[in-house]
Amino acid sequence: MSQPHRLASGGLIERDAPLAFRFDGRSFAAFRGDTLASALLANGVRLVGRSFKYHRPRGFLSAGPEEPNGLVELNSGARRTPNSKATTVELYGGLEATSQNRWPSLRFDIASLNSVLAPLLGAGFYYKTFMWPASFWEKLYEPAIRRAAGLGRVAGAADPDRYEKAFAHCDVLVIGSGPAGLMAALTAGRCGARVILAEEDFRLGGRLLSERHEIDGRPAALWASETAAELASLPDVTILPRTAVFGVYDDRTYGALERVTDHRAEATPSLPRQRLWKIIARHTVLASGATERPVVFGGNDRPGVMLAASIRTYLNRFAAVPGSRFAVYTAGDDGWRTAADLIACRCEVTAVIDPRPQVAQALSDPIASAGIRVMLGAQVVGTRGGHALKIIDVRDERRSTVRIEADALATSNGWDPLIGLTSHLGARPQWSDVIQAFVPGKQLPSGMTVAGAAVGHFTLTQALADGARAGSAAAANAGFPTSSQRVPIADDEPAGLRPFWHVADSRGKAFIDFQHDVTVNDITLANQEGFRSAEHLKRYTTLGMATDQGRTSNVNGLAIMAALSDRSVSDLGSTSARPPYAPVAIAAFAGPQRGRHFRPTRLTPGHGWAQQQGAQFVDAGPWRRAQWFSRPGDADWLATVCREAHTVRNAVGICDVSTLGKIDVQGQDAGSFLDRVYINTLSTLAVGKVRYGVMLREDGFVLDDGTVARFAPDHFVLSTTTANAARVMQHLEFCHQVLWPQLDVQLVSVTEQWAQYAVAGPHSRRVLENLTGPGFDVSNGAFPHMACAELEIGNITARLFRLSFSGELAYEIAVPARYGDAVIRALMQAGEEFGALPYGTEAFGVLRVEKGHIGGQELSGQTTARDLGLARMMSTKKDFIGRVMAQRPALIAADRPTLVGFVPVNAGERLRAGAHLLPLDAAKTAENDQGYLTSVVYSPTLGHWIALGLLQQGPGRLGQRARAYDPVRNGDVEVVIVSPTFVDPEGRRLHG
Amino acid sequence: MADIFQSKAAFGEHLSQFTLADGAGVMVRERADDALAIVTARRGMAAELAKRVKAMGIVLPSGPRRKAQGSLAFLGIGPGRWLATLDHGANTSQSRDAWTKSLAHDLAGCASVVDQTGGYAVLQISGAKALATLAKGVAIDLHPHAFRAGDVAVTQIAQIGVMLWQLDDQPTYAISVFRSLAGSFWHWLSVGAEEFGIAVAGAAGPDWSSVQRRVVQQQPPKS
Repeated sequence: MSQPHRLASGGLIERDAPLAFRFDGRSFAAFRGDTLASALLANGVRLVGRSFKYHRPRGFLSAGPEEPNGLVELNSGARRTPNSKATTVELYGGLEATSQNRWPSLRFDIASLNSVLAPLLGAGFYYKTFMWPASFWEKLYEPAIRRAAGLGRVAGAADPDRYEKAFAHCDVLVIGSGPAGLMAALTAGRCGARVILAEEDFRLGGRLLSERHEIDGRPAALWASETAAELASLPDVTILPRTAVFGVYDDRTYGALERVTDHRAEATPSLPRQRLWKIIARHTVLASGATERPVVFGGNDRPGVMLAASIRTYLNRFAAVPGSRFAVYTAGDDGWRTAADLIACRCEVTAVIDPRPQVAQALSDPIASAGIRVMLGAQVVGTRGGHALKIIDVRDERRSTVRIEADALATSNGWDPLIGLTSHLGARPQWSDVIQAFVPGKQLPSGMTVAGAAVGHFTLTQALADGARAGSAAAANAGFPTSSQRVPIADDEPAGLRPFWHVADSRGKAFIDFQHDVTVNDITLANQEGFRSAEHLKRYTTLGMATDQGRTSNVNGLAIMAALSDRSVSDLGSTSARPPYAPVAIAAFAGPQRGRHFRPTRLTPGHGWAQQQGAQFVDAGPWRRAQWFSRPGDADWLATVCREAHTVRNAVGICDVSTLGKIDVQGQDAGSFLDRVYINTLSTLAVGKVRYGVMLREDGFVLDDGTVARFAPDHFVLSTTTANAARVMQHLEFCHQVLWPQLDVQLVSVTEQWAQYAVAGPHSRRVLENLTGPGFDVSNGAFPHMACAELEIGNITARLFRLSFSGELAYEIAVPARYGDAVIRALMQAGEEFGALPYGTEAFGVLRVEKGHIGGQELSGQTTARDLGLARMMSTKKDFIGRVMAQRPALIAADRPTLVGFVPVNAGERLRAGAHLLPLDAAKTAENDQGYLTSVVYSPTLGHWIALGLLQQGPGRLGQRARAYDPVRNGDVEVVIVSPTFVDPEGRRLHG
Repeated sequence: MADIFQSKAAFGEHLSQFTLADGAGVMVRERADDALAIVTARRGMAAELAKRVKAMGIVLPSGPRRKAQGSLAFLGIGPGRWLATLDHGANTSQSRDAWTKSLAHDLAGCASVVDQTGGYAVLQISGAKALATLAKGVAIDLHPHAFRAGDVAVTQIAQIGVMLWQLDDQPTYAISVFRSLAGSFWHWLSVGAEEFGIAVAGAAGPDWSSVQRRVVQQQPPKS
């Protein structure tokens, strides 16, 4: 397979590792070490994309992450990745890439007609055109614009890959592995510091890989690989290739994205695709280098017009020749090196054009003596060619136009330090007249040093010295002894520059932002219409808002605006760089926490048993709870729930209540503490007894309810609802630590320590007898309602409570969680002869509503103890949290909705929770609203639907009628107001 | 009935889902036999508590450190609060419930002792890639420069609250999580350690080195 534009030798590609890949369906050959861009260029492919707005044909501008044009879609199906910069895509065998933003094909793109309409499509076109009528925006304008705009297509399917997150800590984080970064990492690493070297590229070396520099008399790329090897040998140095540091955050924290397997042909199941690093660095050396600026002239977007230094990268690093006949257009000394390198590679160079009237003879003489036309004081004023550059028109120093044949034009207009990361914490970059570019401002992020080209020190000698200095200082800062280390000697290059912001005399569109098709005309328009500040300019023209974030365009755009509005770039300033500096897949932020692992799930000790019983589970906060246990023959879930509730009322049922919060309270002042947080008095509770308690928030509303059991004079165990367990613990900790630190109280959550099961129903005592054996007396006399005890059952210590939420004779037994599985099985076995069945949260809810107990729906945070019929529980003999605020007039108003029960007048009618309560003959309006139904269940005991609800004057209206109106579900049911206790109001069963 | 009830290890079923494979950078064992209790000093009794713990041969740590004597250890997990652990409590003649009770008795009046033997599930993690695996979830610095044998941290991993302590210089770590979260924690750990391979030791042995190691790798997830 031929690669017509590949040099016969040289480069850092592995010629013994050939690879095959496909682009737009065609097969090509390349080598390991290529990027997709270098491989395409080596194969002579130069048309790679269509621009965003005008759909103009585009080729590669650059060879790195600044690339605005060469965006492709990688892979297919669910792994399709749009907008990938081909210049950064590491080639692997079998890679599939397609061009994007074109239809039907790259060479013939219908939407390129936009170019004809270009005069209409200037800056602010959408804002001006699609203003009116406003209603058209959502339905017509936006969908149409969205169809026409956009670049790649998202996969439209769930991301099948794995992502990971990781934390790293280091003494010195070095960002970038060019000469400054390598030198900094090496110097700090040799001192013994913990170093992380993050490099976006897959190979360490930065520009050293692209230039023909020498260090210590040997090729610089060799020095880079030797340095990389030494770094890898140091125990506390971590090298992260393919890792982009994308954000700087408070407290010296950095975000970085490592592309772990993107470059592999086959996915490795045990490895994530990408890894998101959170790096905490005591010191950071930012050695991110610089990006070359293109020259802005008419027709500067024609495929074949490239950055001069990028051409050197293709030649020297990849042995790929991105053209056949070259010309160079440079406003600085740097571009002349491209001509020299091209000559060294025996490429044809037709002209070197420099707008400066004079350059150093050391630059021009070797070019001229090679027989190449040198044009000083000249400008490129236009380009010709269809899909590829053929001819450039040059206006020479005598202002006559010369036609130069070239299919590749290297352009250079100086370098912009890559300083986005310095601004993430709010600092502004400052303009340097010396290098005609923005450099880091004075207020750098804490702990950060900027070195090398990133701070405008463009020569190799400067970069190496900067790196050595920064690495040494960082190591010293971290407390490591430093010794003077030799800085390698480099050959140096001239770096003179007089930037040429815009060729005013040129013909055709002069592009600034290639990806967003922002031209000089757009900047002119923005200036005319008053959008002159850097931020307005950006938003009005979309300059720098594309996926490349304007790396090659921002400064050119700002400089042109500065000239148009007669200001200096320094006065104009720049826009703010914010994270992320490089694109990060959303999935990387989620890491492994996606799908059902989005947040942790809590399972009770009896979960496995419940699964075996065919439980249907329901989310209860972080818990998974058994909702019901279907059996063959149950018609539907309601039949299952009725059967379970019926079993509790008539035989015995067993329910896992382990999720209820449990808090161990000890200390000499435990009783006094509880008196202050509950509305009722608990210090008087006898040892071996349980009491129901209610807590208020400071504002007087109910916080939670539960039971309090006393096991010793200085030892209580509280229960809370499942939903409020953490909140109550937090509340109690606050009360103890902040309000009453003088009290001797120790609080520990023991929710997890105890598996707890409710055993409820007329036969529950006999089940317990079976379980405990004769050693423990559970008779009514020895263990009455609201008793508690610690007891030994076999080899375990358990806690038994005689509590009932269902209104039946009932117990709750708590055992250490590690025995939870064994005990639930033993309980079921012990209950088998009495027809014991498990019941879930639904039946649990039915039973408590039948009995009129409040639950989560009534503890809504908007109800007072009085609303819930618990006014008499509020002690008048002591103070407690919420007491004063609960007396506010609105909270004790006579017409506050208060808890009562409801039954439908026609027993067959269904009630719905949330239905509003209205007087019978009143209009169905909000003004007539008197309350609402909070909890609704079908009562198998009564054979019809029943409800709890909050109704104005409710307790005084028992026996009267109202209507339960549900506009959402078209419910309008006449109801009778009744006592909230539907079953066994005398409590006989409870004490049975 | 009054049976002998079998205790169930929180990670048991997760660890048993592994099959044999070669090479492992991470070794895991559930410390299902330890006894655990939270000890909180009573008001004004810190000095007396320290004295009584001293009588057990342990200088009560005043910060996030673990101090051990034989199989007994105290770990500082908060101001005035410690996690007391008894290694291999299940293998001693004394039951673990009895140990908690005797500890409560020994410290009566100067500390509240709350049994947490069932409340926390503890995994012991070692191997050449233990640190690299933990770095995928632990935000604090565990490098030997910053965290050494005997150090304790109360932190979180993948939104799960953990207590983490380093047992030796290998390094071997122990991590406790609320028992109900064992499944979620294991998901995080097994996914993160997959690239290194995981070896799981049975819960039976009192000593890691004497346990016959099963070198295992997780089955690839069913697609």
